[in-house]
Amino acid sequence: MPKSASDKRHFVIVAALIAVFTVILYFVLDKMLPLPRQGSDEALIIDDLIHSHLMVIAFLFSLVVVFMIYALIVFRKREGDESEGEHFEGNTVLEVVWTIVPLIFVVVFAFYGINTLAQVTHSEPNEFQVKAEGQQWSWDFVYPNGVVSPELVLPVNRRIHVTLHSKDVLHDFWIPEMRVKQDLVPGQDTQIRFTPILTGDFKVRCAELCGRNHYSMETPVHIMQQADYDKWMSDQEVAQLSGGSTVTGTTTITGTTTVTGTASISSTTNVTGTTAITQ
Amino acid sequence: MSLMRLGLVRGLIGQAVGTIIGLALVTLLRALFGADPAWLPEPAWVAGAIIGGIGFMYGVGSLDDWIKWMRGIPTPLHHGPPPGQPTWARYFGVDYNHKIIGIQYGVTALIMLMIGGGFALIFRTELVRPGLQFLDSNTYNTIMSLHGWTALMSVLLAIGGMSNYLVPLMVGADDMAFPRLNAFAYWVNVPAIIMLLASLFFGWDGGWTVYPPLSIIGSMGFQFVFYGIFFLGLSSILGSINIIVTMLRMRPPGMSLFRMPIFCWAVLATSFLQMTATQFIGMSFLMLSWERLLGMGFYDPAKGGTPILFQHTFWFYSHPAVYIFVLPGLGIISEILPVFCRKPLFGYRWVALSSVAIAMVGFIVWGHHMFVSGFSEYLRVPFMVSTLLVAVPTGVKFFSWLGTIWGGRLTFPTPMLFVLGAISVFLLGGLSGPILGTVASDMPLTDTYFVLGHFHATLFGGYTFPFIAAIYFWYPKITGRMYNEAMGKLHFWIMTPAFWMMSLGQMTIGVMGMRRRIADYDPTLHVEFGHFVITIAGFAIAFGILLMVYNLLHSLDVGKVAGNNPWRFRSPEWQIPSPVPEHSYAQPISVVGEPYDYGLANSTYIQMGAISGGGHAVAHAGDD
Repeated sequence: MPKSASDKRHFVIVAALIAVFTVILYFVLDKMLPLPRQGSDEALIIDDLIHSHLMVIAFLFSLVVVFMIYALIVFRKREGDESEGEHFEGNTVLEVVWTIVPLIFVVVFAFYGINTLAQVTHSEPNEFQVKAEGQQWSWDFVYPNGVVSPELVLPVNRRIHVTLHSKDVLHDFWIPEMRVKQDLVPGQDTQIRFTPILTGDFKVRCAELCGRNHYSMETPVHIMQQADYDKWMSDQEVAQLSGGSTVTGTTTITGTTTVTGTASISSTTNVTGTTAITQ
Repeated sequence: MSLMRLGLVRGLIGQAVGTIIGLALVTLLRALFGADPAWLPEPAWVAGAIIGGIGFMYGVGSLDDWIKWMRGIPTPLHHGPPPGQPTWARYFGVDYNHKIIGIQYGVTALIMLMIGGGFALIFRTELVRPGLQFLDSNTYNTIMSLHGWTALMSVLLAIGGMSNYLVPLMVGADDMAFPRLNAFAYWVNVPAIIMLLASLFFGWDGGWTVYPPLSIIGSMGFQFVFYGIFFLGLSSILGSINIIVTMLRMRPPGMSLFRMPIFCWAVLATSFLQMTATQFIGMSFLMLSWERLLGMGFYDPAKGGTPILFQHTFWFYSHPAVYIFVLPGLGIISEILPVFCRKPLFGYRWVALSSVAIAMVGFIVWGHHMFVSGFSEYLRVPFMVSTLLVAVPTGVKFFSWLGTIWGGRLTFPTPMLFVLGAISVFLLGGLSGPILGTVASDMPLTDTYFVLGHFHATLFGGYTFPFIAAIYFWYPKITGRMYNEAMGKLHFWIMTPAFWMMSLGQMTIGVMGMRRRIADYDPTLHVEFGHFVITIAGFAIAFGILLMVYNLLHSLDVGKVAGNNPWRFRSPEWQIPSPVPEHSYAQPISVVGEPYDYGLANSTYIQMGAISGGGHAVAHAGDD
């Protein structure tokens, strides 16, 4: 084992250890951070970004920790050795290098980050429009034709544009499988967009502390094929809009608690329960 | 001796009397003006809290000298225990010696750390199983919110403790520049703590961030938090002014800014942040209070306000606050590392200036807390870039620490272990930052336990671990005795793996979809085992802290006598007896060399008395 701090063999050993450790750590991190299913196009894009971050994390963590542990072992004070450490006060070239190199990383990731943000939040013509209304501690979803549902039903493979509206305090619209997240702010509408690619059942979970029952502010989301969606929607139209009153816009539907009994979906039985606690 | 002679007791009585006066005053005024009903709890309690706080400051005796000045009575600065009282009584009343005040701060910080940790253990136990077991959701939210502010108070108090005790010693000053202001800045924390803890009885469920409109419509406990934090902020501002003046005006001949011990640089950067940013949280909390009390519409969209405004003013303080919290800790790491490596601090100037750079960048990154808040979408990009920039000066610190370790003669007593633990934990916190700093990857992770893991790692690595290292390191200087080394090492080997488990556990379940601040979770997320691990780890950390407290108390009597300089450290305070005498330095010191010249034969940093001969050192004296 070389003794001198400036011996090149140290750095060769450390570099090899860092390389090995980086690869191992990346796989450990990947296993240790199990992301939910990829339910949307955005999940694919965001997960790629997350994995690039994990690679950099694995490398930088290995860099610091391998250097540190190696030094702790190799340069520990031996029995009976009363000498001081080698006297060097710094190295300007090194300092400049480890200022510039991270700066390059920053520029690259900023560029990558901006691109990803643009991809994730872009809008398209002919988006599927729906409005989400949050209140302590329940959700209502208002469709453009006036149908109101306590559960979110959406067609797969279409760009969804949800306009978010809060009736009382801050809430946050989050379906973990879709990755994206957006606060609901009273007094202003906010927007969130995603393109589901998986059919199945998910949940909207409120991710911004909103008071006593914040923990239970969840409601099912059903992503289905366009045909199934159309059938569900026509059932809803029959049930909700056939009363003779012509419903033109979303604003005319205000008594949203009345729709709870219209279950054409199997698991809506607890919906009345949730609204009952709230007031 | 009678308890009534203790400042603390008189202060508490003053606070109780003040509170009653406040309650009565508002009720009386309302009755007088015919308001119905005369007894309205919220304004009455707010007046009670404010007047109670002033009552405490009057009762404890912190205003005595100033009141005497107004009446033209001279007040010589008294040093030493008050006449006719035992030494321990000094710690329970107003004392102007910076070493006493430093210890008052430090002990209060430890107490708050234990209270804050205790709150965490309560709700962690609740979270072991899905379903609500022994807390209802209201109590859960209140305790969770209180955990945040008590722990952060502990951080601010500990910073006050370390900088008050160490900075005057390190710059060879007899005391702080403004001793009375210093005592005031400490004691104003005590009514603040009482107000904060009193909120427990009224309930509040806003989390430490108290975002409106929830904090407007929520129960009355919020008001106690607002004024508790307002008083705390007063302490931060006054304390930092004092530190800055002490450091800039009272250094000995020969100590240019770049010859200060590196901890002073960290404290200087922190103090500038505290002095300039704290006003924003005070202001935003006052605005919340007045919106509740007087119906003002700052944050109310119905009156033309917006809830997002609060988030801007809140984070304009609270993000720099994170750097306020960690910079002194990073300074401690840089200070202690060279001692146990027996090597100069690698790149002193770079490390010093990186603190300043972090502080400056810290002012332009607050928006990264608001990526999904609904603020203007275009703002996300500049805040993302500025946030990533923080990595650069932080990287300089890490690499400089590695450079310091490399080629040293390393020994591993307890303070060194905690410093190395701090580096590893802060690395975890730092590296989990950029993933939250890029907007798209922040979206799935913000408001989840991933964020929790990230900032607990940052605060443990930047505050708790270095603070503990500092306690063990300066314990012999403060008490004159050594702590128990075996027990200290046991503490380290319990707490560090436990913390890693806790923080990584939080990150894991956060990625899986566990939201922050929820009293109960969906069993289908499969995070139950994760919660179990985090809770066990939390209890292990608590056990470690208790072990340290026992060690510190026990060693006061039985620890072996430490001598002047058990660590062979070059800083001025280690060249004088332990414990430090009442007037620290028998004669003024002067600086004749560099602070960290380990391994350089015949180099000295300071000498007692005036500079003799060393002409180059004098030239540096007027640098500031």
